[in-house]
Amino acid sequence: MIDLLQILIEGALVGLVYGLVAISFVVIYRASKIINLAQGEVLVVGAFLLWTFSEGAAAAGYAIPMPVVIVLTLTGCVIFGWLVERTIFRPLIGQPAFTIFMAGVALLILLRGLTQLVWGAQSRSIPVILPEGAITLGPFLVNTRLLIGALFTVVLTVALHAFFTRSRLGLRLAAVAEDHTTAQSLGVSVKQAIAVAWVLGTVVATSAAVVLLSGSILSLEVAVIGFKALPVALLGGMESIRGAPLAGLIIGILEALCSAYLDPVTNGAASGLLPYVAMVAVLLIRPYGLFGWRRIERL
Amino acid sequence: MRPTGIWFSSFAAEARTLDTRRSRIWLAIGLAALVVLPLAGAPRLIGEMTNLYISLIAVCGLYVTVGMAGQINIAQSAFVGVGAFTTAKLSNLGVPVWIVIPAAALVTGGFSVLFALPAARVKGFYLALTTLAAQVMFPIVILALPMSWLGGLVGMPVMPPMLFGLNLGTPTGLYFLGLIFAALAVWTTYNLQASRIGRAFRAVHDNDSAAGVMGIPVTRIKIEAFFAGALYAGVAGAILAYMLQFVTVSSFTLFASVWYLGMLIVGGLHSPLGPILGVVFVTLAQDGLHNIGNAILQSGSGLGGGAVFAASSVVLGLCILAALIFEPRGLAHIWHQLMTAFRLWPFPQN
Repeated sequence: MIDLLQILIEGALVGLVYGLVAISFVVIYRASKIINLAQGEVLVVGAFLLWTFSEGAAAAGYAIPMPVVIVLTLTGCVIFGWLVERTIFRPLIGQPAFTIFMAGVALLILLRGLTQLVWGAQSRSIPVILPEGAITLGPFLVNTRLLIGALFTVVLTVALHAFFTRSRLGLRLAAVAEDHTTAQSLGVSVKQAIAVAWVLGTVVATSAAVVLLSGSILSLEVAVIGFKALPVALLGGMESIRGAPLAGLIIGILEALCSAYLDPVTNGAASGLLPYVAMVAVLLIRPYGLFGWRRIERL
Repeated sequence: MRPTGIWFSSFAAEARTLDTRRSRIWLAIGLAALVVLPLAGAPRLIGEMTNLYISLIAVCGLYVTVGMAGQINIAQSAFVGVGAFTTAKLSNLGVPVWIVIPAAALVTGGFSVLFALPAARVKGFYLALTTLAAQVMFPIVILALPMSWLGGLVGMPVMPPMLFGLNLGTPTGLYFLGLIFAALAVWTTYNLQASRIGRAFRAVHDNDSAAGVMGIPVTRIKIEAFFAGALYAGVAGAILAYMLQFVTVSSFTLFASVWYLGMLIVGGLHSPLGPILGVVFVTLAQDGLHNIGNAILQSGSGLGGGAVFAASSVVLGLCILAALIFEPRGLAHIWHQLMTAFRLWPFPQN
């Protein structure tokens, strides 16, 4: 019983990290109607920026204090997100959804190549930013890094949800997610919406990188987290900020249970397959996810 | 646009893909050149060309699914992988090559239908996400299956293809195998457009709600589009397996799928000429980069082989973006414009 609860706690914490990455998908979709497949690569770029300002700068002889590193990284992310919007997605406004989706695919190849060219393929260590170790709660052990990450996810969810449903700018972004042409004809700036979407998306992805990689190893393979978080975003509903952490909890717990009980039987495949089986199942049963917008077809 | 003085006395003559005598002669010359190439060419060139044919078959399939029917497929490489593993398994069981290739195509087709079934419920990029699931699940499943089934982590050897006592596993044999099937792929792709199902694909591509209202069974057509595209992928996988002589899951990544899509977009999604131009252009660009990379490596600077691969990714990514932003109709459209300008010369086009 204690084992089971321990598994559930760990699964839930990891699930909330997935939820955090899923939020970065949702933020971009919610504000600009772009499903960005390259989100995992965006996260890796954020992580490499973090490395450059911390370990990289230290190796070059400039030790920068951690709060400044975080500020520099976030500034770098904002510039990077804005650059992506300016060069790739702004010229594509008004193009069919297919074209925009493909631009995301192209961005995936481009970013993967660029990170490898700029930073090289070898893996690097990220300094400890969030406290390591574990808190004992009765008979259970709770990983502090993941716990802080989970709390951060919850706070961020509440804040972003308030932003998208209460603030004037947030509501304008929702109009863009509904339909580009309609939004534009009502005087909502699609350009501004996509810029905000990308800046928010890269910042959220980088904060996910901080939670995920603090005190561990950064390599190009980290980008796989993007494809793990996509099913989570889909389960929660692409338009729902609050759905993402909830779906993350569900997927995380199911994955932990699978890896504990089914993996020994299936040669380690069950936990790897689970997010994608869940994704296909969600698409079949509730295509708009748990909390997404139900779209109405008109002819 | 046709130049003055070309006229047809029947609709069938006008509807032909190769409508003039001159175009038929050019095609014959081109094919003849490809047939005699292995007699003159260096071994490396023959290998490169075989690779190009395999990509062309796979991208033709992608053109049917993505270009004609408008269903995004980011699992073409996994489908090629299914074809390759089917080939490896069957060839080890001693099945002759003329059964193996159709069987690989059909198995791949069946596999793709499995992931196209959500088309009954979802559309647009949501459907693309199920193909993403197929692509990601493919290596996990292969690696988890018992070693004796599909080789697991190690991979599987492929027996060389024998036909009438002739070994087709030599570079020249594989070259002709690739050439024949690539020609078949291009021929079927061109003709599919004018068929009933090709027009149904086009209708679903343009507006699936409207197509449904006009009596086209939209879900079935979408599933058939995936099936048709996967048939090509299966054939490509079979020839690739014979060429590699040893298949492992690491050859069939999401990245390769994206490369296939990139070739299609750069070439053009709206004309069957697109796959040909895209595959040739991207292969040439990649080859050029490899040569430059090798020259840099030999000059002894600190750059590793990984950097060459990374550079080719960057170039392909930029090519796709440039195609999407500046010429969404791809190289095929540029080619048609050039031909028109050539025919109208010295008069301006507009």
